Parts: sequence; C-alpha cells; structure tokens
Amino acid sequence: MDDLEKAVLISFDESGSVDNVLKSQALAFCEQVKESPSICRICIERLCFSKLVQVQFWCLQCLYDSLRDRYGSMGVEEKSFIRKSVFSMICYESVEGENAVRVLDSPVFIKNKLAQVVVILIYLEYPVVWPSLFLDFLPHLSKGVLVIDMFCRVLNSLDDEFISLDYPRSGEEYGAAARIKDSMRQQCIAQIVRACYDIVSMYRNSEPDMCANVLDSLRRYISWIDIGLVANDAFTQLLFELLLLEGLLDQLRGASAKCILAMVSKRMDPKPKLSLLQNLQIRRVFGLVTEGSDSELVSAVSSLVTGFATEVLECRKRLNPEDGKGIADELLNEVLPSVFYIMQPSVFNTIQNSEVDTTFSFIQFLSSYVGTMKNLTSLTESQQHHVGQILEGIRALVQYDPVYRNNCDVLDKVGKEEEERMGEFRKDLFVLLRCIGRVAPDVTQMFIRNSLARAGTSPVDRNVEEVEAALSLFYALGESLNEELMRTGSGFLGDLVLMLLSTRFPCHSNRLVALVYLETISRYMKFVQESTQCIPLVLGAFLDERGIHHPNPNVCQRASYLFMRVVKLLKGKLVPYIETILQSLQDTVARFTSMNVASKTDSGSEDGSHIFEAIGLLIGMEEVPLEKQSKYLSALLTPLCQQVEVSLESAKTPSPANIANIQQIIMAINALSKGFSERLVTASRPAIGLMFKQTLDVLLQILVVFPKIDPLRSKVTSFIHRMVEILGTSVFPYLPKALEQLLTESQPKELAALLVLLNQLICKFSTAVNDILEEVYPTIAGRIFNVLPRDVIPSGPGGVTEEIRELEELQRLFFTFLHVIATHGLSSVFLSPSSRGYLEPTMQLLLYTSCNHKEITVRKACVQIFIRLIKDWCTRPNGEETVPGFQNFVIEAFAMNCCLYSVLDKSFEFRDANTLVLFGEIVLAQRTMYEKFGNDFLMHFVSKGFPTVHCPQDLAEQYCHKVQADDVKALKSFYQSFIENLRQQQNGSLVFR
Amino acid sequence: MGPETAFGDALPNQQTVDYPSFKLVIVGDGGTGKTTFVKRHLTGEFEKKYEPTIGVEVHPLDFFTNCGKLRFYCWDTAGQEKFGGLRDGYYIHGQCAIIMFDVTARLTYKNVPTWHRDLCRVCENIPIVLCGNKVDVKNRQVKAKQVTFHRKKNLQYYEISAKSNYNFEKPFLYLARKLAGDANLHFVESPALAPPEVQIDLVAQQQHEQELMAAAAQPLPDDDDDAFDG
Repeated sequence: MDDLEKAVLISFDESGSVDNVLKSQALAFCEQVKESPSICRICIERLCFSKLVQVQFWCLQCLYDSLRDRYGSMGVEEKSFIRKSVFSMICYESVEGENAVRVLDSPVFIKNKLAQVVVILIYLEYPVVWPSLFLDFLPHLSKGVLVIDMFCRVLNSLDDEFISLDYPRSGEEYGAAARIKDSMRQQCIAQIVRACYDIVSMYRNSEPDMCANVLDSLRRYISWIDIGLVANDAFTQLLFELLLLEGLLDQLRGASAKCILAMVSKRMDPKPKLSLLQNLQIRRVFGLVTEGSDSELVSAVSSLVTGFATEVLECRKRLNPEDGKGIADELLNEVLPSVFYIMQPSVFNTIQNSEVDTTFSFIQFLSSYVGTMKNLTSLTESQQHHVGQILEGIRALVQYDPVYRNNCDVLDKVGKEEEERMGEFRKDLFVLLRCIGRVAPDVTQMFIRNSLARAGTSPVDRNVEEVEAALSLFYALGESLNEELMRTGSGFLGDLVLMLLSTRFPCHSNRLVALVYLETISRYMKFVQESTQCIPLVLGAFLDERGIHHPNPNVCQRASYLFMRVVKLLKGKLVPYIETILQSLQDTVARFTSMNVASKTDSGSEDGSHIFEAIGLLIGMEEVPLEKQSKYLSALLTPLCQQVEVSLESAKTPSPANIANIQQIIMAINALSKGFSERLVTASRPAIGLMFKQTLDVLLQILVVFPKIDPLRSKVTSFIHRMVEILGTSVFPYLPKALEQLLTESQPKELAALLVLLNQLICKFSTAVNDILEEVYPTIAGRIFNVLPRDVIPSGPGGVTEEIRELEELQRLFFTFLHVIATHGLSSVFLSPSSRGYLEPTMQLLLYTSCNHKEITVRKACVQIFIRLIKDWCTRPNGEETVPGFQNFVIEAFAMNCCLYSVLDKSFEFRDANTLVLFGEIVLAQRTMYEKFGNDFLMHFVSKGFPTVHCPQDLAEQYCHKVQADDVKALKSFYQSFIENLRQQQNGSLVFR
Repeated sequence: MGPETAFGDALPNQQTVDYPSFKLVIVGDGGTGKTTFVKRHLTGEFEKKYEPTIGVEVHPLDFFTNCGKLRFYCWDTAGQEKFGGLRDGYYIHGQCAIIMFDVTARLTYKNVPTWHRDLCRVCENIPIVLCGNKVDVKNRQVKAKQVTFHRKKNLQYYEISAKSNYNFEKPFLYLARKLAGDANLHFVESPALAPPEVQIDLVAQQQHEQELMAAAAQPLPDDDDDAFDG
C-alpha cells in the first residue's frame, strides 16, 4: 500500500478510531494529489492495480471531477489516453498487462461510478470527438454478463444524468441531451435495440435477472426512439412470450410488462396509436391480474392494464366516429372488467404497497372514464352497471380492518396511525365518488341508502366498519353537493338525511362511528334549516350520549364544536328550544363555572370555548327578552369573573394549573361574547353592555397583577379585540389602562400583538382615536426603532430562524400600522411635538423600504404612505411649509431613488402583477408631486435626475408633457415604455445607487 | 489487513454492538435541517444557530422495537457542496436513507430528484424516506399536495418538524420495518428526545395561513376557529 492508498483509506474512515490530526493530514494529502497536473494518469494507473474499493471510488471520482472541470485545458493526448483507458475498462479489458485489476470485477457502486465517468465523456465527446463509442461497444457484449451489465449501467446513467425529464437541468444540459439523442437516433439506436433483443432472446433462461435489467434500460429509451424498433412483430412477440410464461423469473416478466407499457404510453397521433393498441391484443394478459400471485408482477400487469385503458380512452376522446372511435369503444369494453377487478381490496392493496404511483394513475383513469359520462342526458345500462361496480369497489376499499377496531376506538398509537393512513388513502377515492355523484346522482344516492341499510344489519364482527364506511361515503358525497340540492333534498337526498337522523346504530359508542355520524349531520344542516321539523332530532343527536354526552372525551369535544356550528346556522329557529338546550348543557357548563379546579383538569381536551360560543349565540339574540338575557348572561359571567378575582387577590405567582384555568375562563367569556352584536350591546340594551364592561374591568386587572405571564397577556388581548368590536366607542375609557399595560413588554412578539390591536382601533374608529394614538405613538416608535434594523433584516446562512421570522412579522405590522395611520386621516400624529423626533428615521425607513424591500406589496404600501403625506402636508394655504424640509426630501430623495432608480433596476419586473400595481402607485406619486410642487418637481426630477440616467432630450420633453396632462393612465403606459427605453439604451452598463 | 476486510473498518464500530445495526445516510440541500433532525435524539440538543456540517458526522441512534433493540448509524452528510468532503463516497454501504428538504424553500424540493439519483448510484435498492422538514413554519412554500416525487420512485413521504419533534419517529419506524421485513414491527418505547422547541399545532397553522390571507389592515386574531369551516 502506498501513501495515496493509505491516505484515501484514512479519509474514508469514520469509525472514530482515526486521530483527527492524522485524518486532516490524509485529506490534505489527497487534495494535494488531486491538484497534480497528471492526476488523470495517476487515477487510471491506480485503477489498474488497486483492489481497495475506497481507492477505486476515489480515483473514479477524481477522474470525473477532472473531466467536468478541466476538460477544456486537457491536451489531445491526455484526452485520448482517458478515452482509451475508460473504454477498455467497460469492455472488461485490462489496461496494463494480464494480471491487472479489472474494474468490472468490483462492487456495483464502483461500476456505477465508472458509468458516470463514461457518461460525462459522452457529454463531452459524443458524437464529434468520439463518434464510434456505441458502435465500438456493441461487439464487446458478446463477452457476456459482466459487459452487458456495464452496458445497461451506461445506458441508465446516460438517461439519469442527461436525458430523463425527472431532474432539474440547465439549458446547456437540455441542449446536450438533444444533441446526444439526435446522433443516437441517426447512428446507432437501431443497433442498440437489436442488441437488446438478441441478448434477451439468448439469455432469457440462463440469465433472467440480467435480461430484466436489459429490458429496464431499454424501457427508459422507448419514449424518444422510433416506435417501430420495438412495436414490431418480433419484439412484441418476445415481450408477450416472456410476460405470459409461467415459471419464468417474475422480475423478467414484470420488466416485459413495463416495456409494453412504455410502448402503450408513447406519445403518438391517435390513429396510429389506436392500431398499435389494437395489434397488441392486450386481452392476453387479463388472466394475470386475476390469477397473479407475486405482488410485483400483479403490480406491473395492473399498471399495464391501467395504462392501456387510459390510452384507449384518450384515443376515443380524440377520434371521430369514422376514424375508429368504435374500435376504441370495443377495446375499452374489453379492458374494463379487468380494470374493475383491480379495485378488489386484495389486488389494490398489493399494488398500493409496491407501486403507489400505479394506484394514482388507476384512480385517475376511473375519474376520466366517469368524466366521459358528463353532459349525457341519461346513462346506458352498461354505463350504469360500470358506475355501480366502481361504487362497490370504493365501498370495499374505504372500510377499516376490524383488527384495528379497538385501537381506533381508544385512539392509541396504532389507532392513530391507522386513522391517518386511512384518511390519506380515502382522499382520492372520495374525489372519485363525488365525480360519480355528479354524473349519476340517483345511482349514487340509492347506493348510499342501500349501504346504510345494509350496514345497520350487518354482523357484529363487521358492523362498526360497515356503518363507518357507509356514513363516510354519505359525508364525502356532501362535499360536492350544491346549496340548492342541499336545501331541497331532491332525489333521494331528503330521505337519506331523515334516515340518518332517525337511525340509531347499535355501534354508536364507537368513537369513529360517533364522529362521522355527527360530521355527516353537520354537513347536511342546510336541509334541516329548511325542514324545521327535524330540529328536535338534530338537537337530540348533539345533546345526548351520541354527542356532547358521549362517553369518549374526543367525541364530546368535536360534538361541542359541531354543535356551535349548528347553532350558528339555525340560530333564530332555535329560540323555542333555548331553555331545553341550556338545561342539557348545565352539567357541562358547571365544570367551568364551579370553583373546583381539579374537576376541570380531568375533563380532558374540551376547553369549553365552543360550548360557550354556542350559548352566547343563543342567548345573545335580540329575540330573547332583556330580562331573560341578563339572567342567563350574569349566571355565566358572575361565577367566571369571581374565579378570576379570587386568583388576583391571592396575588402570588399563579401555578401552571391556575394559569391554565384563568386562560380557559377568558376564552370562555370571549367565546360567549361572540353572540352579542355591537348594536344590541351599545344601543338597544346598554344594560348588557354594562355587564361586559364590568367583565373587561376585571380581566384588565389580570394584566396589572400578572404582567409577565405571556399566555394570559395574549388571551386578554384577544378579549380586548372582542370588546372593541362590540362595545364601539364606549370602550375608549378602558384603552389607556389596557395600552399602558400592554406597553410594558417590548419583545418583537409582544410589540407585534400591540400593533395588531392599534391597527384594529384605527381601522374601526379613524380620527376618533387621534388622541389615544398621539399619546402612545412616541413610545411605540421608540420601541420599534430599538428592535428593527433600519434597512434589511439579516438572514443567516442556515435559512430563516424563529427570531428573524418574528422581526419580519413585526416589520410587516409596523408598515401596516404606518399605512393605516396615513390612510385614516391621522398623519398629524407623526408631527406631534413628542413624536417629532421619530419623523426623520421613519421617513428614511420608508424611503429605503419603498426602493428595496423584498416584498413588493410592502413597497407599494410605502409609496402609498408617501402619496398620502404629500397630499396632507404639502398644501400651503399660507405659503408656509407644514413640515419644513419635507418637500425637498420628497423631491430629492423619494422621487429620484424610488420613482426613477428603483424602477430602472432590472429586478423591477414589469411582467409581475404585484410589481405592476406598485408601478401604478409610483406613477401616481409623480403626478401627485407635480400637482403639489409644479415646476419645483420638474426642475429637479427632469432637469437634474434624467441626465444622470442618460435620458435623451426628446424623451425628457415627452415626459414633462405627459406628467402635466391630467391622465394618470396615459402617464403610466408612457412611463413604462420610457423606463424600458432607458434600460435598453444602457444595456446594463450602468449600476444605479 | 486484507483489502476485503479493510472496507468494513471504514464503517463506524458496527461490530461493537450485539444487536442489529444499520447504516442510514441522510442527504439533502444545506440548511434543510438534517443535523437538527438527528440531534433531536438522545442527548442531541436543538441548535438554533446554524453551523454547516463539514463532510459527515456519524450519530449512533438506538431504538427499542417489539423485536428487540436496533441501532441506526446516521451518517449526517454535508448539504453544501463546498463542505462536501467525500460527498457520495459517504453513501457507500448505506443500507437505508432519508432525503430531507425544507418545505419553506422551494429549491430544496426541486433538488430532491438529484439527491435521489446520486444516492441510488451508490446504494441500489435501499429503502428511502423523503422528509419535508419545518412544517411548523407558518409560510410554507411547498404544500403537501405539491410533493409527488415519492410516488414516482416508491419512497415513503413524511412531513416532519425537527424543531417540535413532530413525526420524529416515523422515518425510523418505516425504515426499521422495511429492513426487518416486518410491516407490524413497532417501537415499544419512545426514544428520549430533546424537549420540543415549539409546539406544533397544525390546526393553528391552518388558522395562521387563513389569517395571513385576510386583509392586512384588519387583523382580528382571537381564538375563533371558523377559519377551517370546510
């Protein structure tokens, strides 16, 4: 072993037993050798005698790197040496003497590495420098398995590295692929296909594995070679023979099927394609779907059958009756029974496990087939029969396996996994179901009715699964039904909903059944809305042990949420039932209003907010008399607030359980308030408003007593948002205290939350919040300039971290904040004496952002702010500037940098819709500046600015003309061509800014 | 030391444990979170600071299955070309693999086929899992629906979040089942993981996305979940 070999071995050693210093020495040594001008020769020599695979791998990698990076600087002789040596290696010849090592005797990863080297040579030298490569190689195939195997590796590697469309490639690589394919088509592909045929014919019995590989390689090429080379009698005959021969290696049979599929899938005109499909006599393989045992073979044949059916359907679509549409119909009818057979769970799951993509194309085919029935007035008998078969297939496939029944019920790890898997698996099948539901509504609804009826009486060992599947089908169907259909329940739909509501399945205690039952009722609520006689049935389902009182907490929680949705929808229709509903919910509500913390934590996942929202929706209606309304509301608010007060009085740092409790209470009150409208609370029933104000007082106290507890702060903030919504301006007296408390924290996340609240206030109350805003603005601006950088938020080399995301979010909200201030008539806030100090940095930040921010919409907002400020601040009623220096800043800095230079930059992409909107604002800004400043603007922008970008005189004159006319649209289109014109003239020679 | 046995020595201590062990290669673009992912296990700490991996780092990770203990030697390779070291040389004798991309960076998904090709050139026919990492992040660029590569090549796909431990075990479980040839194999105890850095809440995540779509001027975040009415 010489030094290089030792160094390579050490550098490959990751066992931890090699000393670090030694290792870096070894790596350095290898690098040094790599830099040697004769590295290619060194590698090739080494490949002739070293049997160490690490050394072989390293040498081939070096050779590859040298060819890739240094080919241009290599001499003719060196190139020729490499070419000859590599060729000898793949032909199993020894480069030097008889005893030398042959690379083809090495493990596969070495041979693949060698193939990669050959392929880069093909890329560099074929066909110009080395035209005979393929033709020279073919005779060596007679040497047998090793060389044939290498031949396949070269073909595969060529496909992977340059031809296949599966990989992202550069334009140059696409060009190379076209060049290589063209030359091969002209020169040698016929010979290569012939060679494959000969090899498979000769070795099919002795070397079936190798033959499978040969066919796999050939398959990759079928899409771009003359189809006649394979779709001829001899080759087709051979492929079918192999596929049908029982006892032959399954891989070889599968490879034949895949080759036939590649022929079937080849892109061709419909007429020749149809005759190709017809000539194949595909019916020969149908038996393999039903009788196949090996999973891979079944998959391959199913793929073939599906692919064939897909292509026939495609031909059928594109052909006229006189061109053979009838033949296509016949072929389709012939293949469909086999296709439907694939839907049998045993076959389908086999494919799913070995070749997922096939199941996708399979369902795709069924969808297209069903799609052909669109727009037909009625279906033929055979179409109805086919649709029925597909529905049966779906039903069988979407059923859970009873072995998982208990797992799914208690939702353990296995159950979760199975449920997740099933959810994913069902998706496409349900899409198919809905397709059928559209083309054959009656058939589908009848089918579901029968499934429900059948499931209700199915034997105990299967009933949970059958009921669950039938309900899931009904649920899935609902997703695509239009509103009209839902309301009227036409066809069998109304019957179905009634059947659903009045059926009590024996397996209702099962979690999955209970859940899908409730989900399905909720989905068909639109029908109930119209048929109010069903309401008691619905309430029963949600309020008894099938819903909110189900023994499984998981079901209770979901039932609460769904019940809230139902209440939202039915609302007014529920007035007569309010008392009953509240009674049924008493025990649930008591869990939250009672003082006993312990009893709440064990109630599990239900946080109560949905129940409280539902109650709020019910009792918040104007139809409820004031007296009752106050009674209901105070019965809930009083005990909840009391609990908070008790926690506040103890004033110690609360325990986590205590925090969670307070959080839950705030959420409950928040949810409750959602049922009350601003009108009711402020105008018609101020007494109710007062109750919420008292609650707000109590909850704000949380911020005072526990200012540092983040989850509490965010919940109280949410509550303030709600109160702003329903209390209107009467919330104002509470704001100073609230804002003061929220301003105690200045972390990006907290600041962002505060900005969201202020944005809400500004959007809702406009100038009415002027005083409040003037009060807090300086503090906020100060905090923000402390945390936000004045230009770009840096991003680390490893992508974006959480801190950076928080800063970006804060920055985005800050710009929204400035934007809403400016656009709601509040720009004077920037000018108040205590805010004045932030004016300069704010303007600089806006300027920088308007030119550079990575998000175009943010840039747009900044330009809009400038337009607003120019309008607000630059009217001179008394000839004096409102904001001294602002006009100059706008003309000199904003106009030049944003309106001219940033637009001229090539990165300003006119084809992007957002950018185009930004551009519109920039043009509007210019017009606004002209309106306000007149010649002062033109003097600077045109006379000083345009020369810096080498604008010709005539263009500048045209600009002046356009900007003076009162037509922003015309100005916009002119300015775009103006900019494009200037860009062209400069041709990228000038770098702005 | 004969040349044939020499290669075995290049593998890390595989002979030193008396239970089955497998070489697992982790590949993918730089910054997709490969190192973060393997370091979640055992004593591994989640590091916010990004330090590119140089060459390769090997981490032995143990899992307890109903069929006994097994070990994955995770070869955490450098994603960035310039820190590549032996690059695909590290894949040699890999028995299973994870290809990682970052759902918040489209390019990292675009490069998945290339990683797959380079991997398969060295390791033919090994079980491979495709992992879309960082699903805890609000603005993802690669939606689950857009991930289709695994279907073409018969890989298993999982969405993970190394930061929150979300689905941490899934890739290992899949590979263990494939390697053992037992579809019912399961982990009997959870490995000790570093505490989650963030709590992933997929429902909240959808809600966030919905929120972002709402008009920027009027954000009213509260606990409402109407966002996913369906």
